[in-house]
Amino acid sequence: MGGKCPHRKVKKRRLSHKTARRGKFLVKADDAVYDELVKLADAGKDADATQLPVDEDLPGMGQFYCLHCDRYFASDSVKEEHYRSKRHKKRIKQMSGPAPHTQLDADLAAGMGMPDNGLKLMSM
Amino acid sequence: MRLEKCWFCSSTIYPGHGIQFVRNDAKIFRFCRSKCHKNFKMKRNPRKVKWTKAYRCLHGKDMTQDSTFEFERKRNRPERYDRNVTEQTLKAIPLITKIRHDRQKKHITERQKQGKTKERERDAKELEQDIQMLPKKDVLSAQKTKVVVKVSQQQTEENLMEE
Repeated sequence: MGGKCPHRKVKKRRLSHKTARRGKFLVKADDAVYDELVKLADAGKDADATQLPVDEDLPGMGQFYCLHCDRYFASDSVKEEHYRSKRHKKRIKQMSGPAPHTQLDADLAAGMGMPDNGLKLMSM
Repeated sequence: MRLEKCWFCSSTIYPGHGIQFVRNDAKIFRFCRSKCHKNFKMKRNPRKVKWTKAYRCLHGKDMTQDSTFEFERKRNRPERYDRNVTEQTLKAIPLITKIRHDRQKKHITERQKQGKTKERERDAKELEQDIQMLPKKDVLSAQKTKVVVKVSQQQTEENLMEE
């Protein structure tokens, strides 16, 4: 992530703030991760059992993925080590809690009723 | 024209106000002012920030369930224009808001009642414990309490006998 030396004279090789922040943009947001977990739980699948697609740009060909933290690892042992970390456990606790705040929650708190979508046009 | 609600603090966003953030999964986040936008960027949870509506509703500070909340809602279907309906709606809006405000006021006074009784109990206890600290003439006035006077039963019986 990002360049280092902010005092460099050569314009091309100065610190790029955008590249320094790029990792932040790529991280999945809490509510997106939560939705994914709920989807998996509804389908009754285990997170580890699903076959991950091979991607050579990702660490470990994208095979060792932690769903809760949205991180890829180089190998199985590193992943296991991550599972034992405090950060991961904290994340699991957070994700098993109540659903993250959404726009619907904000609307309800503002004194609006549930959205009215009218009659169903097609019988499902 | 739609009056949207702020994602963070749930206040109304009028056209031309606030800022809107569209995440790369096409989810829209609207903010009423830079304060809310900054708080979102800091990844704060509105349920844990005390000045937001979400916090107040969750902790019983504000009224949450009321029939007046059923009127304002997102209607995701076309509405055929009807002059009479529009007129009546416009007439009803100030009336409903007044009712809602009255009920909200009542809710807050009801909520504060508990604290007031507790405060009174605390004061009574303090007075009882530290009464020796007061000068004597004040003690006499503080000890003046209502004395229950019993009305003798005999009188009533006599009255009955006479009748």
